[in-house]
Amino acid sequence: MLILRYLFYVLIFPGALFTVLVGWLLAGLDRKVIARMQRRIGPPVLQPVYDFFKLVGKENIIPAQANRTAYKMAPFISFVSLSVIMLFIPIFGFTAVNGVADLIVILYLITIPGVALIVGGSSSGSPYGAVGISREMVTMMSYELPFVLALLAVAKKAGGDVLVFNLTDIGEWQVMNGCMAFHWSMIPAALAFLLVIPAEVGTQPFDVAEAETEICEGPLCEYSGAPLAVFKLSTHMKMCVMSALFTALFFGGIRTGYVVTDVILFLAICVLVTLVCITTVHAVTARLRIQHLFKFYWKYVSVLALISLALVWLGA
Amino acid sequence: MFDKLIKKSALKSPWLFHINAGSCNGCDIEVVAVTTTLYDAERFGFKIVGSPRHADIVVVSGPVTLQSRDRLIRTLAQVPEPKCVVSVGSCPQSGNVFKGSYAIDGPLEKYVHVDVAVAGCTPKPQAIMEGLYEAARILEEKREMIRKAAKGVKGS
Repeated sequence: MLILRYLFYVLIFPGALFTVLVGWLLAGLDRKVIARMQRRIGPPVLQPVYDFFKLVGKENIIPAQANRTAYKMAPFISFVSLSVIMLFIPIFGFTAVNGVADLIVILYLITIPGVALIVGGSSSGSPYGAVGISREMVTMMSYELPFVLALLAVAKKAGGDVLVFNLTDIGEWQVMNGCMAFHWSMIPAALAFLLVIPAEVGTQPFDVAEAETEICEGPLCEYSGAPLAVFKLSTHMKMCVMSALFTALFFGGIRTGYVVTDVILFLAICVLVTLVCITTVHAVTARLRIQHLFKFYWKYVSVLALISLALVWLGA
Repeated sequence: MFDKLIKKSALKSPWLFHINAGSCNGCDIEVVAVTTTLYDAERFGFKIVGSPRHADIVVVSGPVTLQSRDRLIRTLAQVPEPKCVVSVGSCPQSGNVFKGSYAIDGPLEKYVHVDVAVAGCTPKPQAIMEGLYEAARILEEKREMIRKAAKGVKGS
């Protein structure tokens, strides 16, 4: 019975299937809303689903100079790590897997899709891939620092004297003391987290690694068919995971008492977070250069997160 | 299992890759105009992609010059099946005003089967869009043909 329950968690809810469906919903809404902001009609909300299945139906070409094993496994690793992250994130009252230090596990798992992209890009043997992976590495370095600082601020706020890395405990603390987002000392950290999300997902101003107009989508340049479909899918899953993590960390104190209403409310907040930090930013900005991206994250976003951490440490 | 969905998706999500084979930039601008706010090809799922490996429809403009010929052939060979080739403008069809020049080696038909040809100098964005939508329909048929051929091989 226990095995069956865990299989259900991993494969259906809140694991792979749920993450994929929510990712598709968020990505579809994202494209539709951008189109409406630019006064276009825009693609149907189901467009990511069509894209995925079309790519699955296409021929899969593996370049002669590619390392076949790494080339084929990279998208799969990215997909698996993203569906595992979702197990650790509590959906208000409901948690699938309750660890001692969820946040640390999530921190490690969330770098794996980026690393998988680097492995896939370098194994394809394309010069565009080489440029793309160097940019991807710099992007990862830039957003990891403010990301970790914001998580530390949350952990310290919820723990008081000690750091609490358990997401369920952080949720319980928010039930007692009100949501993190409503504590004034946590607002800079929330802002920093919101700015980290587009870089993590790789959307418009921060998509230097996958710039399709200058370096042919970088690491994905040589990918075609099903592996490309899975890479695109993992981008959509990242949207789901990052917005869910934000909701759990900063709006985790909401309880309605029923799992179904919890999930619906959770999804609504996820959609809102995606629309604010991905869609709006995408619609109004152009792509940054890599050195500007690095500067932006270490100079401004990290400082925002540090302010929060300092305020929490001083007891605000 | 997902055959029906894949068949429908082939029509709904065609990605474009644009090759300039010595075009005067007129048709290139009109192709880009198709994706802008006024004409909005994205409502049919069209998207301009950066790599030929991701493409379904290859848009070729220009009267295949000697310099671009080898690149054109190599790029077309990189596109995974099922694919469609759309020629935009009169140049790929006949050479247009460049006909008889020592520097061109057209028409495009010599190198690849052209599925849809949009004539004009330059064609209107509406005409290009209709051509692209026609190409998406051909794409769906091609995908069916490939699937049936694969089934035949498996059955025998």
